[in-house]
Amino acid sequence: MSINEERKILEGIAAGDAKVIKSFYKDNYNYIKGYILKNSGDDVDVEDVFQDAMIVIYQKLKSGTLEMNVSIRTYLYAVCKNIWRSRLRKNKKIIIDNDAIEANEEIEASIAEEIENKEREHVYRKYFLKLSDTCKDLLNLVFDGNSMKEIANITGYSEGYTRKKKFECKKSLLEKIEKDPMYKELKITSLKE
Amino acid sequence: MERTEELFEKIERYLDKTLSEEVTIAFEKEMSTNPELKLEVDKHRELHNVLSNKDVLDFKEKLQKIGEEVKKEKLEETKTSFFPYLKIAASVVILIGAGTLLWNTFNSSNDFSNLYTSYYELYPVEDVTRGDVLDQLDIVMKNYAQGNHDKVITELEENASLVSSEQLELYLGNSYLQVGKEKKALLQFEKINDNSQYYEDANWYQALTYLKLGETNTSLEILERIIRFDGIYKEKAIQLKEDLE
Repeated sequence: MSINEERKILEGIAAGDAKVIKSFYKDNYNYIKGYILKNSGDDVDVEDVFQDAMIVIYQKLKSGTLEMNVSIRTYLYAVCKNIWRSRLRKNKKIIIDNDAIEANEEIEASIAEEIENKEREHVYRKYFLKLSDTCKDLLNLVFDGNSMKEIANITGYSEGYTRKKKFECKKSLLEKIEKDPMYKELKITSLKE
Repeated sequence: MERTEELFEKIERYLDKTLSEEVTIAFEKEMSTNPELKLEVDKHRELHNVLSNKDVLDFKEKLQKIGEEVKKEKLEETKTSFFPYLKIAASVVILIGAGTLLWNTFNSSNDFSNLYTSYYELYPVEDVTRGDVLDQLDIVMKNYAQGNHDKVITELEENASLVSSEQLELYLGNSYLQVGKEKKALLQFEKINDNSQYYEDANWYQALTYLKLGETNTSLEILERIIRFDGIYKEKAIQLKEDLE
């Protein structure tokens, strides 16, 4: 792939360009799928790992911390591989096909630590997006820093109902997150006020 | 610790720094002696930190949508690459007319073979190595993962005692399927009974094996059983059943 094409993909991902992302997704998904299915994973794992890896890349692009000494494809593979290895370790499964995926030692080490820190975030987002639309809308308003009164004004609910609903949504979200085996294995880290 | 509306309110106000100084100090003191409360506060803080980043959430939603589209397109491609065969087969049958049963059967089995290919995925490798036969099994599983199914079959046939779990029956069955020994594959899958946690997997591979053999009625019967079972193969079974009908 030419430098120009690489740049277009990176810019497309950073800009959230659905067309570029979809094309990149289609070009690389099967390769990752092969690796994960060979190593104790299923289709759901493939999707989770691939999408979480894309998020890692997206966040790094947005924060300007993505140092690319390799192609975007090699980088994606390394991120996917590390995410999956980390999840397998936590589920205490062995990795049979150790070298089936293109590896690059130089970027391996730096990615491994970062992946570990991002794993909790993936769990939070995964279950948040599975909530009902009502809960998502309500909690989004809460996370944006709105007061109960402001939320009640926006949604048209009473303040009491807003408070109750917010509690129920948040409680249910926390319970779902806590049930995830991945979450249980992870320690709360980097908690900053 | 019981989660209550009041507790959540207090934690949120603490994180927003809208509690009075006095209440904040008391709350922090309580946290220092109550690790459960401290953990709950940490969880809320992290939840707020992660989920207030709307940009990343939107990106994840976009990815999910793209993922669904790609899956759908792939399924459509599979269907369109399958149905023309059916149409061609049907036209041929009409043209040649009666007495071409053999032809028809041949073509149908070709179609089923395509359908089989689009649904079949090798049973994935998991940790099955246990005890003192670890080395030997490890080699078998490595061969399986690398697609050396002849070696898997030779090794497991020669050392029948290695096939000590139902999961291994599934692996051996899959290896038989890979080398075109469908009848032997069926024998492996049939060994797994309905009390087993691998029963649904075994059923799914049985259904695919009968499909590969062109025995669609038997395949359909098994698919119906999988659908009733209502497990992880249900969706695939419904889809395959529709394709077959």
